[in-house]
Amino acid sequence: MVFALFVFWPLGRTLYLSVHGNDLFGAPSVYVGAEHYREMLTAEFGKVLATTGLFTLFSVVPAVLGALVVVLLLEARIRGVRVLRTAFALPFAFSVATASVVFAVIYNPAIGVANGLLGSLGIDRVNWLTDPSIALPAVCAATVWMNFGYNVLVLSAGVAAISPEVVEAARLDGATGWRLASRITVPLLSPQLFFLVVVSTIHALQSFGQIHILTKGGPDQATTTLVYSIYEKAFAFGSSDFGSASAQAVVLLVVMLGCTAVQFGILERRVHYR
Amino acid sequence: MRQPRLRRSMTAFVALVAAAALTACGGSGSGTDSGKDSLEAPGAEVLEKATDKTTIEFWHGMKGANAAAIDKLVADFNAQSGGKVEVKAIFQGNYDETIAKYKASVQQKNTPALVQIYDIGSRFMVDSKQTVPMYKFIDKDKFNAGDIEPNIANYYSIDGKLQSMPFNTSTPLLYLNKEAFVRAGFDPTKPPQNLDEIGEMAKKLTVKDAGGKTVQYGFGAAIYGWLVEQLIATDGKEYCDNGNGRKGLATKVQFDQETGVRVAQWWADLVKGGYATNTGRKTDDAQAAFKAGTVAMHLESTGAMRGYIDAAKGKFTVLTAPYPKASSSATGGPIIGGASLWINGVGHSDKQKRAAWEFVKFASSAEQQAKWHTGTGYVPVNAKALDEQIDKDWVAKYPQFKTAVDQLHALPPSVASAGCLLGVMPQARKASEDGLEAAIVGSKPADQAMKDAAASVQAAIDSYNKSVS
Repeated sequence: MVFALFVFWPLGRTLYLSVHGNDLFGAPSVYVGAEHYREMLTAEFGKVLATTGLFTLFSVVPAVLGALVVVLLLEARIRGVRVLRTAFALPFAFSVATASVVFAVIYNPAIGVANGLLGSLGIDRVNWLTDPSIALPAVCAATVWMNFGYNVLVLSAGVAAISPEVVEAARLDGATGWRLASRITVPLLSPQLFFLVVVSTIHALQSFGQIHILTKGGPDQATTTLVYSIYEKAFAFGSSDFGSASAQAVVLLVVMLGCTAVQFGILERRVHYR
Repeated sequence: MRQPRLRRSMTAFVALVAAAALTACGGSGSGTDSGKDSLEAPGAEVLEKATDKTTIEFWHGMKGANAAAIDKLVADFNAQSGGKVEVKAIFQGNYDETIAKYKASVQQKNTPALVQIYDIGSRFMVDSKQTVPMYKFIDKDKFNAGDIEPNIANYYSIDGKLQSMPFNTSTPLLYLNKEAFVRAGFDPTKPPQNLDEIGEMAKKLTVKDAGGKTVQYGFGAAIYGWLVEQLIATDGKEYCDNGNGRKGLATKVQFDQETGVRVAQWWADLVKGGYATNTGRKTDDAQAAFKAGTVAMHLESTGAMRGYIDAAKGKFTVLTAPYPKASSSATGGPIIGGASLWINGVGHSDKQKRAAWEFVKFASSAEQQAKWHTGTGYVPVNAKALDEQIDKDWVAKYPQFKTAVDQLHALPPSVASAGCLLGVMPQARKASEDGLEAAIVGSKPADQAMKDAAASVQAAIDSYNKSVS
């Protein structure tokens, strides 16, 4: 019942809104059929989809791979490793809004830390969030930082769950360093890695806070992802075009289902469950 | 996906709760009171005859120091109303959020009696047919509206009839870093008067260090559609057709015509030449650059002045000059926008409408506008406010502000500087920013960028016009 109320009813409502026009106040008016879906067949919307894809790719892959490398390095038995592990997991404690505001300050063109550092190295200032070719990587970098802590936590837990006997046996067979990591640890971590890839892909496709706070979809639409486009149609700039927004929301749902299905189809086969 | 869907279901949930609450209170409401859904102005007698207290809600979009000034204004009004009227001020988020919530409240038939809406929401407010036009109250009371600054009233009037009461108004200025001017060998008392002069001076005002790194840019301002609208108005050009949307519904925007393209080209050339910095669309970032002294000439609203003077203390001197004109031959002036107060008729009793009008009169009086103006930095909408002592003291302390007042008084009212009334004006402004930004970052030539931007808002204009006609 609760499930139906909070999942199926809104979904049904979204589908309903996506085939209706809107009156002045945003209430559904006349039936328009596939009109809102036809509106999407433009180069602009193609760019939105491409941006969404790039954003997802460059926020998921570095965050998962980076966390894996860090976790493997932290396996080394050195002093202060627990402090380091805590430090790497710390971004998890920041909300998206807090972290985004911090990054907004870091990236600030006039007074930001990023340009300050570059300046002390004698490099001219970079327009982090106002240069269309740099803004998307900059937002991705912020997102990677935000997701890093969670990934480190999950992978650390995975490493801790690997039974010491297996590792010991491998060591006795002469496996160390890279060989131990690539043949034993990583395959045994594959369930966690798969989980992270699936979950962070969905998470990335839904990202809103950092884009809203850092770039508002700009410059020149360079960071307008699907979710941001939905928001703009529905709520921003006095717009209340819930019809078009709902149609895009349906597309997002399809994209997400597609991504997840592909990941289960291709990646899951290589996952080694204990 | 999940976020918007969740939000929608939350909205529905809130609506359900609100509907339940409404039905519950319905019985205790003023059943004897007339005027529900009427868009006529009731006379003073409805309140005089009333024996109980009339409570109204006032939704606004002001925060920080401005919110404190509103709360003070409301408290003063409630105190002097002798227990007859109580206004409850409710902050609803920024202007965009306030109008979004207002739209939802219309659907739920639960509008506030009084709402503050930004200038560019005016056409929507008229077309929503929810409000009692201000001129009806003015006619009813034979109220002297002559003290309202004509250029401000002009924005909120259709066919010379005032639709809403201007409340807070800001006007754009050219800000200058005096020391940067002196270092470059310019006379700071002779500021540039048009875009070409800014462009020429920006070259000399751009300073590089020994390593070739730019330490001071000649010009810098936010990619803010409002600034473009102002520049087009100085050229005497209309931003949208049908007499800036005042003769009838505007059917297209005109920022892709000659002046708009020229502005975009001028701006893009300055950035490309390295004489202007591009800090993007966020006004905060452009303001930070001027405050940090890395920009010598800067365009912003009067509202930013206090912050500049405070931030520059001990570092440099902030000067203000009239807003530049788009060309040397231009004779117009900027648009006087801001926000205004709208009284809702639909769903409100005569007593509530009257109470809202009493508050509007109070808020636009010279005495209150002087307090409001000195507390916030907005331009007073009542010309007499400048004669109040607290206002004179304030202007003496911040002489930079005089530029704004002089500019306002020097401007002959015209269709161009009345500004464009367009139902989807917020989206049009955003589109103009898309165009300007595309030109500045060089992804498209200026004319193509502005043309594409204007075309991108066409569907929204058409669909809006269809839904109101």
